[in-house]
Amino acid sequence: MVTTLPMRFRIIHFFSTVDEASVEQLMDGLRAEYGQEGQFNRKIFDEHIASMRQGGILHDRDVDLNDKDELVQTFAITDYGRDRLKYLPKSFNG
Amino acid sequence: MANGISSAGAAARVARAKEIRGERELSFAKKGLFTAALSGALWGLDGVVLGMALAMAPFTGGTSIYAGGLVGGVLHDGFAGLWLLIYNIMTGRSKEVFRSLNTWPGKLVCIAAVFGGPLAMGGYLLGIKFAGAAYAMGISALYPVVGAVLAQIVLKERITPRVWIGILACVIGAFIMGYAPPEGDAMPNFYLGLGCAAVAAFGWGVEGVLSTYGMDMVDPAVAINLREATSSIVSIVFVLPFVAGLPMLIEAFSHFDSLWLLAIAGLVGGASYLCWYRGFSMCGVGRTMALNITYAIWGLVFSYFMTDVELTANLVVGALVITAGAILIVANPKEILNLRSEA
Repeated sequence: MVTTLPMRFRIIHFFSTVDEASVEQLMDGLRAEYGQEGQFNRKIFDEHIASMRQGGILHDRDVDLNDKDELVQTFAITDYGRDRLKYLPKSFNG
Repeated sequence: MANGISSAGAAARVARAKEIRGERELSFAKKGLFTAALSGALWGLDGVVLGMALAMAPFTGGTSIYAGGLVGGVLHDGFAGLWLLIYNIMTGRSKEVFRSLNTWPGKLVCIAAVFGGPLAMGGYLLGIKFAGAAYAMGISALYPVVGAVLAQIVLKERITPRVWIGILACVIGAFIMGYAPPEGDAMPNFYLGLGCAAVAAFGWGVEGVLSTYGMDMVDPAVAINLREATSSIVSIVFVLPFVAGLPMLIEAFSHFDSLWLLAIAGLVGGASYLCWYRGFSMCGVGRTMALNITYAIWGLVFSYFMTDVELTANLVVGALVITAGAILIVANPKEILNLRSEA
């Protein structure tokens, strides 16, 4: 049986598979697994990302404004965050 | 020339973007500190409501002097767990509960619950029995210091000298508020009592660090739900049988007047626990624990309006010392932006 990770853990795993990503790209990447759940919304993702950035799991990468003057930023995983992957369950087929 | 103008425009745009990012990060840090302080305010209100429930039947009887408090505590945590489960279902996190339990970080949160639940609470109650309330409460109030030291070691949390002074002030303030002249009775197991109270401080401190480590990978709202469920179940199976508490637990379900008060206390307590764990995840263990201790002030405020508590000098002085400590802790939210030193 393939394990579905807690979403926060899956976010860490996602960032370990890409060089950098924005919250939009992250949500696109996880939509197939979690898109049907109530927790899959921008507010909760923003909170996870802010908490992980503050705790040193992720760090800021690029930042800019788009045509609508909205903030566009990307994040990347740190070595400290990558170290958490040692707790991935063996049944997770990432 | 045109390229020069466009690159200058791009640089200005990026500078503006960085400014907005900085504002958002600072706003999140402030929200974390507010959440931690809110956990203290709600805990103060919870304590008053819980105290009203425990002053009613069946908690005033029992064959053991601890049965009332422990059974009330189990029911309080059980109700808090149920409210938190409802919250998680309503916010679309219900599947996260079992997903988290299937991972090591989720299990770590459950282990943290044993430290902070039955172990710390047992130590606290035994500390009061053997050493008296004044010393036991004073020593067990050291938990933010234990939590901050362990968070520095395990989580590499950055705690500046000013924040350290704030944490110590909160602890000293709580000690002053809880202090009462020791009773004159001989206490043959006095030092054992001090040890038990130290176990409580250790248990709560360890809980904060282990759960925060787990919450790097588990949603705080789910983590606190697991914490409450584990704490209640372990207490029912391993603690209540030793204090003759199981008959009282069953009897409590026929006393609706105290049961509904416990359900309300569980709602307020569940909200407080949620803020507490979110605070750990947002602004760190040391700061959250110290801001949580402001419950002593809030408990006093709520007691003043809801009961007939008398304002004594040590209550007022202790409250002022805690307030000064809390101000020192929240003085510079920018230092939370990079909370851990190795990251």
